[in-house]
Amino acid sequence: MSMEQDIGGADGARALVAEYVLGLLDATTHAQVERVIAGDPRLEAERDFWVSRFAGMNDEFAEVSPPPRLLGAIEARLFGAPAPRVSWWDSLALWRGLAAGALAVAVVAVGFAAFEPRQDVSSLTNQLIAALEEEGSDIRFLAFYDGAGTLRLTALSGDVAPDKDLELWAIQDDTVTSMGVVPVGEAIEVKVAPDILAGWGEGSVLALTLEPEGGSPTGVATGPIVAKGEVTRI
Amino acid sequence: MQTPSADIADLIARCALRDRAAFRTLYERTSAKLFGVVLRILKDRSEAEEAIQEVYVKIWQRADRFIPQNTSPISWLVAVARNHALDILRARRPVSDDIDVALDVPDDAPSPEKAAEASQERARIDTCLGTLDPDRANAVRGAYLDGMSYEELAQRYTVPLNTMRTWLRRSLIRLRECLTA
Repeated sequence: MSMEQDIGGADGARALVAEYVLGLLDATTHAQVERVIAGDPRLEAERDFWVSRFAGMNDEFAEVSPPPRLLGAIEARLFGAPAPRVSWWDSLALWRGLAAGALAVAVVAVGFAAFEPRQDVSSLTNQLIAALEEEGSDIRFLAFYDGAGTLRLTALSGDVAPDKDLELWAIQDDTVTSMGVVPVGEAIEVKVAPDILAGWGEGSVLALTLEPEGGSPTGVATGPIVAKGEVTRI
Repeated sequence: MQTPSADIADLIARCALRDRAAFRTLYERTSAKLFGVVLRILKDRSEAEEAIQEVYVKIWQRADRFIPQNTSPISWLVAVARNHALDILRARRPVSDDIDVALDVPDDAPSPEKAAEASQERARIDTCLGTLDPDRANAVRGAYLDGMSYEELAQRYTVPLNTMRTWLRRSLIRLRECLTA
């Protein structure tokens, strides 16, 4: 049947564009109308007119949350990587302040840690990372928490006088707890004490202070903070 | 301070610049609305879940085609979702005889206005649908909101298919007169 039999001329054309926008045309006609509209500014304006006027009904589409897993599936389709990898790279933004060479060290250190065979899946999901630095100080550390009670520290730059030591502190809800003295220039592992683990997670802050050799004699930080950073999920 | 609409427009623009974080935020802000659209039209949850993934793939790929002057950002997103769901339905429906598509809009036709604010659009379409016979207004709503075909509409209103077509086209012409008045 012909469109022109029912309603002719400009009105017929406009009705056809409206039918096209509503989705009432069969597949062949729809594709044909789409081609005719494309590239004709007046028909495109006519189409946009109907799209925006009909959009006045959009409030009637109720919101329904899609299942959470879909976002990861979409990102995998688009970016070819599973969701955890994307968030992993997001966390690299944290390290922008670090020198390029230090960054390479950090990636190798973390990458190495991530391949440790004894980690199970649940510990992987609890892995945390922190870049420790402070303005005016050249002491930089990378801290990697393996999700299972061990914090691995890698010194990236900086040095301290021979009669001084760096002491590591955990700051959680205004409670400051010593985690021991940290040697400069080598990677070390620190077992996170149970009282720190109780409040451990994203938002916990790690800080390094400059203390007399052997660490603070009082159990409370006595020197300036030379590096600190908040732990975050990777 | 930015309006929510300007925010969404900004996120779409950043998607066009391949900003993945912006894409994620856009998804978080808009996926419930767009999922509501595809679910209402497809009426099948697993189909809708597949469709919404394809919709966001399209949004990422076509973000550079969004022109803020022509449509509001959320209307554009809803249109992408709605059109995708309709494409799925259309592919299953019978194809009628090939028709000759003649689309001549005279030069003196008043050029349609650009997009207005959402609340204004809603009041306008409601008012103009209100001037139609209630059955015909509901047929337009059924086509827009539920993706109903002419066949389904003819069944619902128990009229022959061609009568339904003529009905609806005349209603659309009246609707246009009201909307441009």
